[in-house]
Amino acid sequence: MEKATNMITRRAVLRGAGVTMALPFLPSLHAEAFPKRFGVVFLGNGINEDHWSATGSGASMTLGKTLAPLEGLKKKINVIDGLFNKAATGQGIHPAQTGGLLSGANISKGAIIHSGISIDQMIASKLGADTPQSSIVLACEQPMTGYHETNFSMAYSSHISWQTPDSPVPVEVYPSLAFDNLFENRGSLRNVSILDRVKDRAEALTRRISSTDKSKLDEYLTSVREVEKRVTGMRENKDSADEKAKAMKRNVAAMKRPANGLPEDLRDHAKLMCDLVAIAFQTDKTRVASLLISRDLSAMYYPFLQVSDGHHAASHNNNSDGYERIARFHVSMFAYLAQKLDNMPEGEGTVLDNSCLMFLSNLWIGRKHDNTRLPLILAGGLGGTLETGRTLDYVDAGNDNRKMCSLYLSLMDRYGIKLEQFGDATQRLARL
Amino acid sequence: MATPRRVIQLLALTSTAFAASEFDQTVKPFVNKYCLGCHSGKSPAAQLDLKLTPANDYPRWALIAERLHAKDMPPAQIPTRPTNAESKQVIDWVHAVRSAEARKTDGDPGLVLARRLSNAEYNYTIADLTGVDLRPTREFPVDPANLAGFDNSGESLTMSSGLLKKYLQAAREVGDHMVLTPDGFNFSPWPMLVETDREKYAIQRIVNFYFSQPTDYAKYFESAWRRKHGKVVDPKLSSKYLALIWNFLEDPQPRVGPIAKLRAMWKALPAQNPEPQCIAMRDFVVKIRAHTAMQFAAPIVRGIPPGSQPLLNWKLKQYAAHRRDSDPKNLRNDTDPPPVVPTIPRYAGLHQEGAPRWAALSAKARADDQDLIVPAADRARYEAAFQSFAQVFPDTFYLTERGRFFPDDSQDKGRLLSAGYHSVVGFYRDDTPLMALILDAKGRQEIDRLWREFDYIASFTDRTWVQYFFNQSGEVDGKGAEAASPRPIDHAVTDKEVIFAKRDAYLAKAAADLKNDPTAPQAIHEHFEGINATLRGLEKIHKEAEPKHLAALVNFAARAYRRPLTKAEKDDLIVYYHKLRQKNELSHDDAIRDSIVSVLMAPDYLYRIDLQDSTSNGVKPLSANALANRLSYFLWSSMPDAELLKHATAGDLQRHDVLRTQTRRMLKDARVRNLATEFTANWLDFRRFENFNSVDRTRFPTFTNDLREAMFQEPIRFIEDVIRNNRPVFDLVYGTHTFVNAPLAKHYSMPEVQDWTLIADATPYGRGGLLPMSVFLTNTSPGLRTSPVKRGFWIVHRLLGETIPPPPAVVPELPQDESTSDKPLREVLAQHRSNPLCAGCHAKFDVFGLALEGYGPVGEARTKDLAGRPIDASANFPGGIEGSGLKGVKDFIRDHRETNFIDGLSRKLVAYGLSRSLQLSDEPLIERMAKQNRFDTLIESIVTSPQFLNQRVHGKGN
Repeated sequence: MEKATNMITRRAVLRGAGVTMALPFLPSLHAEAFPKRFGVVFLGNGINEDHWSATGSGASMTLGKTLAPLEGLKKKINVIDGLFNKAATGQGIHPAQTGGLLSGANISKGAIIHSGISIDQMIASKLGADTPQSSIVLACEQPMTGYHETNFSMAYSSHISWQTPDSPVPVEVYPSLAFDNLFENRGSLRNVSILDRVKDRAEALTRRISSTDKSKLDEYLTSVREVEKRVTGMRENKDSADEKAKAMKRNVAAMKRPANGLPEDLRDHAKLMCDLVAIAFQTDKTRVASLLISRDLSAMYYPFLQVSDGHHAASHNNNSDGYERIARFHVSMFAYLAQKLDNMPEGEGTVLDNSCLMFLSNLWIGRKHDNTRLPLILAGGLGGTLETGRTLDYVDAGNDNRKMCSLYLSLMDRYGIKLEQFGDATQRLARL
Repeated sequence: MATPRRVIQLLALTSTAFAASEFDQTVKPFVNKYCLGCHSGKSPAAQLDLKLTPANDYPRWALIAERLHAKDMPPAQIPTRPTNAESKQVIDWVHAVRSAEARKTDGDPGLVLARRLSNAEYNYTIADLTGVDLRPTREFPVDPANLAGFDNSGESLTMSSGLLKKYLQAAREVGDHMVLTPDGFNFSPWPMLVETDREKYAIQRIVNFYFSQPTDYAKYFESAWRRKHGKVVDPKLSSKYLALIWNFLEDPQPRVGPIAKLRAMWKALPAQNPEPQCIAMRDFVVKIRAHTAMQFAAPIVRGIPPGSQPLLNWKLKQYAAHRRDSDPKNLRNDTDPPPVVPTIPRYAGLHQEGAPRWAALSAKARADDQDLIVPAADRARYEAAFQSFAQVFPDTFYLTERGRFFPDDSQDKGRLLSAGYHSVVGFYRDDTPLMALILDAKGRQEIDRLWREFDYIASFTDRTWVQYFFNQSGEVDGKGAEAASPRPIDHAVTDKEVIFAKRDAYLAKAAADLKNDPTAPQAIHEHFEGINATLRGLEKIHKEAEPKHLAALVNFAARAYRRPLTKAEKDDLIVYYHKLRQKNELSHDDAIRDSIVSVLMAPDYLYRIDLQDSTSNGVKPLSANALANRLSYFLWSSMPDAELLKHATAGDLQRHDVLRTQTRRMLKDARVRNLATEFTANWLDFRRFENFNSVDRTRFPTFTNDLREAMFQEPIRFIEDVIRNNRPVFDLVYGTHTFVNAPLAKHYSMPEVQDWTLIADATPYGRGGLLPMSVFLTNTSPGLRTSPVKRGFWIVHRLLGETIPPPPAVVPELPQDESTSDKPLREVLAQHRSNPLCAGCHAKFDVFGLALEGYGPVGEARTKDLAGRPIDASANFPGGIEGSGLKGVKDFIRDHRETNFIDGLSRKLVAYGLSRSLQLSDEPLIERMAKQNRFDTLIESIVTSPQFLNQRVHGKGN
């Protein structure tokens, strides 16, 4: 078994500028060949507990008001109650409760930022080699920096995806740039430009060297040309794959490049980000995505929900309708993404059937900053490895049997990542 | 050896003619008769086919002569044996023909191929180029070595598309560390990926600057005492501040209060060892200042919390402005009743004023301080004394951390430079006393620059403003009114009009109630106008910085290419940047970053190429620039520094005196560690020891990663010391000293040490010189036993440079675990040597290893082997010389093999320095070097040799 710490020993090239190369995914005849995907949707500041509930199973599942947007997807979701991260309790509020959300890591106070590799990035490092981008990390709200009064860096509040323990993955908040990264393949473009330039340099240099040295330089030039060919070839392959798919009248979701800048309305913004995740999954541009709709300590406002407080202020009024409406809006975006994936046929099923989407927050309820249990929904059957349509309650299972990290271990198993330990867990989550 | 007459006779012939005649008449018949029986056919012995060896295969004939001379060949059991005279004829022929050829081609530069930087060179060069030790090639595949065993030559360093992709990744990694500053760009120790990374980088520079300043009063008192006693003062102290303290202490004017008390302490300092009293003086000063520091609260405006930024900043500003003032309210008259110790209020809520709690805490702390009691009748004079005291001794020189309710007693530290706003990023500078009292003009400029760059790098004023605007401006506009726009988007909220509209809303609120603090309007003006001024200033700096970044880029390329750029090359780089901006639509930041990546991917950076501007073939002097590179990659495994390039540009580097001066300078530089590592670790075969995993750690639990790293470092530190201090090279073998750190000292049973320490006489612990270093003893042990064979082979082959033919395909098994073997290794090996096939070679080296049996499988000193049998370290060296243990080996080398050692070392150094395998024309150089015994002269022989100073040009212009 591999140890979690050895999984990522070197930082992959970031900003989508990687030199990872792969052919776009071409539909195969064998159902089991469909790739498994993983997505996380995050809501900051918790939920209104009066309206977060799910009972029963399958078609007869009853959903509370906040979960109502998932009504049409009941058979494809699991509502899980009672899980928590022990390391995130008793350290202080907000950043301390968020920094290790997806890793279960003990995070550091003060000037040195240290968390753990998050589950999405663990999966990305395993699945990412086969796709143009190992993951996409999106947010609808800009990150915050500096320190919270509890002495934890605000970086812990602003990021959920950590590629190394020392630094979070930068979030993309601009839909247009996220689109470019996925479809213009800006990383490859940038590398092609650099390879072009160094080719010119090498050719200029050959005029000033002897023929024996020229043979060494030829070796270099050949290598440059080979890498360049592979980068360009990949782009061409992608184009021809799209052509083929069109010719076969397969339904490849089309998406126009979003406008530059940030959308004025959060609803438009969040939907665009969901569209990007969906199309990235469908076209196998990446198999891992995280989307932070609002960060912890969110400073966003919801005039379209008739909430006058900011998100964070509203969260302190635990049972308010406004607070509930904010959470319900987030759930509706999650439902929008899940539904979108479920509308994309893949083999006998849908893209959603081959995915696992996870919705969660860093808190249960806001007023007491209570994170001794977390709101959590999974959607999608993960390629037939995850039974859905269930409500799973671990509230009274005992602290050792209700660890988020146990859930992460169980999920990673299904992505082919077998670990002995992750965060504080050595056991898989029972009954999952 | 050839007789002189014979040699002269031979030299008279041309080598070709001689080779042809003598080879056919003497050598061929000899070989046919005595050698071909084994050394020919399908599988020739020792993979040496003499039938196919031509007369001009000089290295091979040298080997044959060596064997014949040692009478190893033909082996003893072969009945048909040549007479001594017959062998001598062949040996003479070999020597003569080599000698003639060597002299004919003496100093030929040979073919030195263009070569990419080795992984090690790449890392060292990046460290020197960026100022940060990033080691981007740390997980690259291991570089292959050439025949000489070094990985720095074009013979073995190849390129492939797989490797090129790794180089692209490595260059990107370096690019990720780039951080733009107003004047150029730097590289950070960590990648600049998210805003927090940038903020951390800028903050740490400022905090490190503060922490490096001499602000300890005790140190100043001590140096004042030193001055008084005619001793040298601490040069690290601020001379300006020391003078102030001196004058303050020595001022003859009678003073009262704390001044009088401190002067009394000063006068009472003893003539010897005043440190404890100086510390007492400091503690007195710190206490007085803590008890008389000024305190402030935010101005009160009804309807606005005191944690509101404009009000909180006013408070922070008052603190910063009054650190050299004494609060007279804290002094008590001697006629006053004893102070009432106040009850300490709880922490105020978030966003609320912490001043009352702090005031109570301070009052409690000073309640018992008798030094604060002043005569009521003379109060004015005492107040003045406290104020003068505060002028010299600030309550703090600078502030790096603010707690939750600044100032407060909470233990929450770590919010470096934070202003302490609630839930919003913000920073505040408070270092007026440091600026005024300690720093000189240069220091003040430096810290001003760091703060300016902090805002440039991390844009904190901008981000604080935007976060405040959307999060907290409801303080004046009404709850939720921040949502005038639904959410923080990249609107122009930083425009002057927007900022001033908020200012006016605050002013209106401050004017709305007559009971509001009258200073509030000023606080509000200063806050908002300050933000606007800062933002407008930053806009200007950003605009002005772009051309500076391009200039820095060109400068970076010249340093990366390690030569001056042509005009066309400079222009080309700028054109590329603009293309990235316009055609590829990259931001300025990304375009600079990608330009840097392109520089690091260019062959000019990745390769060491000796550019040749002459058009004809043949032997040509290296250009000054190529010479500077050759020199620095030889001695430092890295790029030339500014001084070396200066000489290259001035064109005087080829002058031998300049070359010698530069070489000596470079050999004293810390970068010589790279030579010690790359040269010696490859020469002595321990370069991969950092990953050595053959030790069974359950049997040898003392072998930890720390110990392994220490073992690896020991010979490097030893040789670095020999080079930098120009000690005799024979110290490597005969030295009685070594260097150890804590784990190694423990391993060697030496007294405890902290950091790396020189142990001048290590012989009582069985150490001293290279031979007993545990890295070699461990590296040659196959786990659960020692290997006298490998140890001996290492000494004879690696250290003494002797060529040993490869072993036959079938070698007998040795026991794997010493503790379960029924015989000592010594006996097993003796049996092995009784086989004549093995004896030929093993007799040469086993014995060296057997003499070191007093060292176990991880180099530990031992008296018993793993099975508990007593160690026998006696040895019968070649020639029947008796000896024992480490001393026996050293003595034998001194008496019989010293020339082998210096010859072997010289050969390796030449091959390494020239980045190619040796050729016959190097022999005269090596002979000259064999007469040296110091590192600097060995190195100088090489760098002033024709082969080092010239290059052979083939097919120029094709």
